[in-house]
Amino acid sequence: MAKSAAPARSHVLARRETFVSYMFLLPCLVFFVGFVIVPMFMCLFTSFFDYTMTDFEFIGLQNYIEIFQDETFLIALRNTVLIVVVSVPTVCIFSLWVASAIYRRKGAVTSFFRCVFYLPVVTGTVAVTVVWKWMFNQYYGLFNYVLSSTNVIDQNISWLGDKRFAIWCIIMILFTTSIGQPIVLYVSALGNVDNSLVEAAEVDGATSFQCFWKIKWPNIMPTTLYILVITTINSFQCFALIQLLTSGGPMNSTNTIMYYIYDTAFKTNQYGYANAMGIILAIIIAVFSALQFKVTGSSKKD
Amino acid sequence: MKNMKKFLALAMAACMTVGMAACGGNNTADTTGGNTTGTNTNANTDTADESKDAQEQETGGATEITLWTFPVGDWGGAYVDEVIAAFNESYPDVSVNVEYLDYTSGDDQLTAAIEAGTAPDILLAEPQRLVKFGKNGRMVALDDMFTDELKTDVGNESIITACSDGTNYWMYPLSITAHFMAINYEAWESSGALEYVNQEGDRTWTTEDFQNALAKLKEAGLTSGVVYCGGQGGDQGTRALVSNLYSADFTNAEHTEWTINSEKGVQGLTLLKDLCDQGLLSYDAGIQASDELQLFSNGTVQMSFCWNAANAKTYASSVTFTPYALPFPSDDGVPVLESGLYGFGIFDNGDAAKQQAARDFITFVCDDAEWGPKSVEATGFFPVRGSFEVYADSDDPNMEFYNAMLAYVGDNFTAMDGFTEQRAEWWTMLQYVFTGEKSVQDAADTYVSNSNAYTASYSE
Amino acid sequence: METQVKKTTAYDVVALIVLIVLAFLFIFPLYWIVTGSFKDAIAINSATPEWFPSEPTMDNFVRLFDKPALRWLANTVIMAVAAMVLTCITAAMAGYVLAKKRFFGQKILFSLFVCAMALPKQVILIPLLKEMSFLGLHDSLWAVILPTVGWPFGVFLMKQFSEGIPTELLEAVRIDGAGEIKTFTQIVLPIIKPGIGALAIFTFINSWNDYFLQLIMLNSQEVLTISLGIAKLQTEMSNDFGLIMAGAALGSVPIIVIFLMFQKYFTQGITMGAVKG
Repeated sequence: MAKSAAPARSHVLARRETFVSYMFLLPCLVFFVGFVIVPMFMCLFTSFFDYTMTDFEFIGLQNYIEIFQDETFLIALRNTVLIVVVSVPTVCIFSLWVASAIYRRKGAVTSFFRCVFYLPVVTGTVAVTVVWKWMFNQYYGLFNYVLSSTNVIDQNISWLGDKRFAIWCIIMILFTTSIGQPIVLYVSALGNVDNSLVEAAEVDGATSFQCFWKIKWPNIMPTTLYILVITTINSFQCFALIQLLTSGGPMNSTNTIMYYIYDTAFKTNQYGYANAMGIILAIIIAVFSALQFKVTGSSKKD
Repeated sequence: MKNMKKFLALAMAACMTVGMAACGGNNTADTTGGNTTGTNTNANTDTADESKDAQEQETGGATEITLWTFPVGDWGGAYVDEVIAAFNESYPDVSVNVEYLDYTSGDDQLTAAIEAGTAPDILLAEPQRLVKFGKNGRMVALDDMFTDELKTDVGNESIITACSDGTNYWMYPLSITAHFMAINYEAWESSGALEYVNQEGDRTWTTEDFQNALAKLKEAGLTSGVVYCGGQGGDQGTRALVSNLYSADFTNAEHTEWTINSEKGVQGLTLLKDLCDQGLLSYDAGIQASDELQLFSNGTVQMSFCWNAANAKTYASSVTFTPYALPFPSDDGVPVLESGLYGFGIFDNGDAAKQQAARDFITFVCDDAEWGPKSVEATGFFPVRGSFEVYADSDDPNMEFYNAMLAYVGDNFTAMDGFTEQRAEWWTMLQYVFTGEKSVQDAADTYVSNSNAYTASYSE
Repeated sequence: METQVKKTTAYDVVALIVLIVLAFLFIFPLYWIVTGSFKDAIAINSATPEWFPSEPTMDNFVRLFDKPALRWLANTVIMAVAAMVLTCITAAMAGYVLAKKRFFGQKILFSLFVCAMALPKQVILIPLLKEMSFLGLHDSLWAVILPTVGWPFGVFLMKQFSEGIPTELLEAVRIDGAGEIKTFTQIVLPIIKPGIGALAIFTFINSWNDYFLQLIMLNSQEVLTISLGIAKLQTEMSNDFGLIMAGAALGSVPIIVIFLMFQKYFTQGITMGAVKG
């Protein structure tokens, strides 16, 4: 009797636990399902429609077919990938360097630098963007003044209006607003590395590079993974910069998928098409994230 | 147990949300009907308003309408408050809320509001927006307001047609202006460029004069002008500049195709590119008209391609020189100018009382014997109604010129299908031309074929 | 605090110099905002920049306050605080059970949360717009708050924190006969309090900075946020940088002051979330 009662009882318990868990999850699920999952499905659903301000007509995969013949989309895709591929590694490497340069200094010094590099994050995206816009201004911006008065350039440059510079300006501003958090994270991760291990290695004659690579790096791997993920998300989501600085120009050289979706939806009112691009972007991001987990995950095992 | 209550409330919200997913499709599909969607969203908007702003309820029983306005000349703040106050003397039951849009994000805001069911009741804008929304089934037809009295008083067929899509009238016109350019009189005088400017009569001049003047400015070491192409703001200026140089047509007469890739159009674009390459003119893919005006007004550049009566008024206090207005130069010396026509449209929000109040408001603002002319004056432009007398006591010597320019206004294609989409292509095309990234012909062809595709998609 | 003897190497000195230069470059935009907001039009538009306002003027602020700038600021605070409180409550509850309970569908649910985390909001903008329209919330602060709360990052973070709650403790409490709600409020909450602090800070900054959502959801003057306000200033009078800088200063200085006051908690909070992960 006792033997059969135990599983029955645990079954009841499990059900009870499931019920309780879902009660706890309920408020969160309401928001999550309501404002992420449902819109996502609506997005997927309407991406098969010719959906504009006046039409709503099923067209199957037509939107998706058109996307890959759309020159602007391909440019936007290339720019998006460029931004991610450039900014993610630079942010990671640079923040790791800054962190390792400051984490063993005096408390006040460390916290001063930490604050400084975190400033652009708290200043607010829009405020940061408008001041950069001013500094980049062709006629009375700071950059042209500094560069021309030091004779680096002899003619004022239209930073945001020149195809060669515009996207790099965007990447640079994105960089300044992205490194604050990684630095804070790395400082604390490096501080947590067991010092006795490092000392032991030093006694054994390891160079400081070896120390870093063999001891510290594996230890901060989880932090690195986390930083990679948040920086990637950040880079993909960069929108205000582009909208306020260049509107995707010149010649689409700063157009990203994110901005193009917005433009397609709001300037030309092709909602179905915009939604289809959204789905493709979601897939790309999923692949990117999976790759990062895989790459960093496997090197962790080594 | 408080938590439980919260759970309950949230759960209900969830049910609503999930429920909407089911009917979301229907909701959006039914756009032309407007009735079901209209009442539906309206009811919702009301509840939102209640929770949002309790103080708005004080006017119990009153009709509340919202007016959104684009920056039309000087029309704004102080005058709008005045005219609303005057309107309320005759219509105490109607309260009018105002929001000001700008040309950069205004269209996006409108789209969002229309799709979200929070569109305003009245919009002050140009035919390109109002007629487009009308055709899309979002506006109330104003056919009954286009009385014979109005048509006779306006006396200009092109203004009346611009307000309609050929079937219904969607826009009630208030004022009109021509768009032209301006130069820094003193700078042109000192550099000797002024000798190529015709200061007599209608001040018309030729492409050749223009080129000679640019050469003089360059000799004097001045930055002449900048062809802005960083966005769509003020593109009426660059359109008119390009098409006038060799008298190219911007569209065909039937308004079914864009035609700036014609021989004359390409000639105009090529000339501008050559002028830039020679340093006689410059281009900037980082700025729009508003930036260019700023550069003009602070003396950085010596001409503006985005001038009109209202801009003259706006910048009058901040300039330290005399802005001298000119028509665009053209090969035959006869410019064809673009007009800015401004008026009101009413969104179909499904509430008859609000629509009536909106009509009353529009009629008051545009047609009232006292306030009609004042409204026109507030825009800084000219009345569409021939019987209105404005600027009678103006001491601005340019007024006569501004008015004379209306005679050069060409065909108004701003209500043409695909006009809005075309604008996005235009400035990108200019960027391709000036940077030499594409040949002028290629760039113009791409622009035309993309724009034509948009236009054609409307009639499918 | 370190046992190791500190040797100052050449590298350390060079690194410090580079850091100082960088620090200067990072502070500079903020400096330029604040000084710019006190410059008059002539100084702003001169090709030779004034490094410090020679004739400071309050004119920009006077013009800024012609607009409902304080209302914008208040709206932003209301929005960010509401998003923060709701996120903390919902995420703490969800994170706890995801970490400490075994129930049907747990794995799938958690992977769903993680996948959705990277999803940019732009992807779902039209559906969100339609949804807010249906709920009658478009053009109200709720339209911005609700999707922010729905973003699953908070759940992820709180799950990581809750992993640290000792299972034996929960067992003991359960044997003592405490109910689920009591366990949560009296045992779990105190343990994950620092985590909630971190999440609170994170959500606050994020929703303060979420320009995109604000842009598509808010129209009326009375619900504009400071970010939108500044963006509007810049589109309306694109080159009136004095006024724009005054707006930027108003939008950023308060939050920076808060940040500097609580910077210890800020950095602690941020780190705790991630390093646990």
